[in-house]
Amino acid sequence: MTGAVYDRGYRPYEGDQGGRRAARSALFRASVRRALGLRRSWRQKVAPFTLLAIAVVPAIVNVGLSYVTRDSIASDIQLLTYREYVGVSNTLLVFVALTAPDIVCPDRRQRVLPLLFARPLVGVDYVLAKAGAMFAILFAFSFLPQVLLFVGQMLVSDSGALRYARDNAEVLWQVPVAVGALALYYATLGVAIASLSSRRIIAGASIIAVFLVSSIVSGVLVGAHDGYVSRPSAAALIDLLSLPLQLRDIVFLGHIGTDDPLSGIAHGGLYAGLVFVAVVLAAMVTLYVRYDEVER
Amino acid sequence: MTPAPSLLRTRSLSKRYGAVTALDGLDLDVPAGRVGLVGANGAGKTTLFRMMLGLSHPSAGSLEVCGLDVAADPIGVRSRLGYMPEHDCLPLDQSAADVVATFGELSGLPARAARQRASDVLDLVGLDEARFRPIGGFSTGMRQRAKLAQALVADPQLVLLDEPTAGLDPIGREEMLDLVARLGTFGISVLLATHLLDDVQQVCDHVVMLDGGKLVVSGATGALLERTGVLSVDVGAEREGLIERLVQQGLPAATEGGLVLVQVQGETDIDIVRDAVADLGLPLHRMSSRRTSLDDVFLDRASSG
Repeated sequence: MTGAVYDRGYRPYEGDQGGRRAARSALFRASVRRALGLRRSWRQKVAPFTLLAIAVVPAIVNVGLSYVTRDSIASDIQLLTYREYVGVSNTLLVFVALTAPDIVCPDRRQRVLPLLFARPLVGVDYVLAKAGAMFAILFAFSFLPQVLLFVGQMLVSDSGALRYARDNAEVLWQVPVAVGALALYYATLGVAIASLSSRRIIAGASIIAVFLVSSIVSGVLVGAHDGYVSRPSAAALIDLLSLPLQLRDIVFLGHIGTDDPLSGIAHGGLYAGLVFVAVVLAAMVTLYVRYDEVER
Repeated sequence: MTPAPSLLRTRSLSKRYGAVTALDGLDLDVPAGRVGLVGANGAGKTTLFRMMLGLSHPSAGSLEVCGLDVAADPIGVRSRLGYMPEHDCLPLDQSAADVVATFGELSGLPARAARQRASDVLDLVGLDEARFRPIGGFSTGMRQRAKLAQALVADPQLVLLDEPTAGLDPIGREEMLDLVARLGTFGISVLLATHLLDDVQQVCDHVVMLDGGKLVVSGATGALLERTGVLSVDVGAEREGLIERLVQQGLPAATEGGLVLVQVQGETDIDIVRDAVADLGLPLHRMSSRRTSLDDVFLDRASSG
């Protein structure tokens, strides 16, 4: 590269030019690409696509087993239910810890923010684009394995595909709602925690720490267990790791799961829902405050 | 016919950060074209840029950019501006083509148009061969060019350049200034913030000087660089003989920096100097009317203000 400047003329741009909506959409797409490692080196693609592969393995195994055991007395065996499979998606915490810092920390550390906000964007657009990108990826990574499981089970079902679909019609709304709640929760909380640091490693460790510490503290407060069933305790409400699973149970069962410490608490489901909403709102407010300051 | 709106219009514009006053009652009317914003570090240049972009709000006063009130329509203003910050600000792990195209999309361009524009502007700034390399591997000069490319990608009406020659070697600096000078011919107005008066003198046709957040002077570069009535003559080493002859003919003359400086009143005096050089058989390497430099103007106005 000699650095020479060549005079090849200049063509003014005379096409369409969007405003805030177009800018927000562009930032959303750029953040999705970044999270998935697209247009970046192969090393950046390893984590997201490995995780996606791991997430679909249970579905493949379940469908494979159903195929092998069809027309036999073992055909009723099901390794995991749709409800349990949403729980598997909790492993996405690792993905969030890896990806959420990657889509917000470099903007601050590499001082890209002033350049972004020199575009037709405001703080709330930035927050919606970044949290939205994280939500979209988490939803897709949680929902696609469920689709694979449903379609696979439908195709190998002894009773026929249509019959299977009719018998399990309720999961067609339960799965997207539960997965959506889980994705919203992890996306907002993960990006909010990551936004507090400009260093990816610190942000990632902080995300893991917040979830694990809250879970450990909750476990200690809940206290002694009676066999496999926990003692009823409202302290379970501060367990950030269990909260999305409690929401899942409300969606699938209409109440908190019986193995959860909240199940013995009056209005436990309502409290879990309220805490869920409070956590998501707190995360959004944190993000708004964090990026509104760029414009001051 | 209504006159064209000012590129930048401020009225009593002030910005305070606690006890520190970054801008103090600024009244400005800056025309379109290539405009230099000059001042020492801390003069308020970057603060003014941030306020033009709506990234910082005035403590008092008003601000219009490209005919739009920044407080009322910051998005409209940003859609018309390109911004090249002084500091490093580009993602280092992406190629220049991707980064510039992404900033094109962020400026509202459709994806396909943004990629085409990115290719065009990277070509324009001399990064066509390096466009697919990660910016992290770029030299300082290449990063400056990439920063300029992202500022130009959406074809802005006005581009704000904050110290674009910072960190560049002499050749890189000349190339950057040449590029800035050419932006005017593309119909893009330039507001060039720098503390290097030579840069402004070289490429700008209007100058705004700030000192401690206050306006020192604003005017056309040509009008500020007045003739001083001093003729600068380079005759090599034989200066003393020329000075003696000119003094005999009633023209005050002295040496300074290897040159002979002569106080002249008009064309007749210039003819006398020329004839004296010829009569003495001296080599005439250069003879020019000395003008004030922007340094002189700045020092003069700042001290009198």
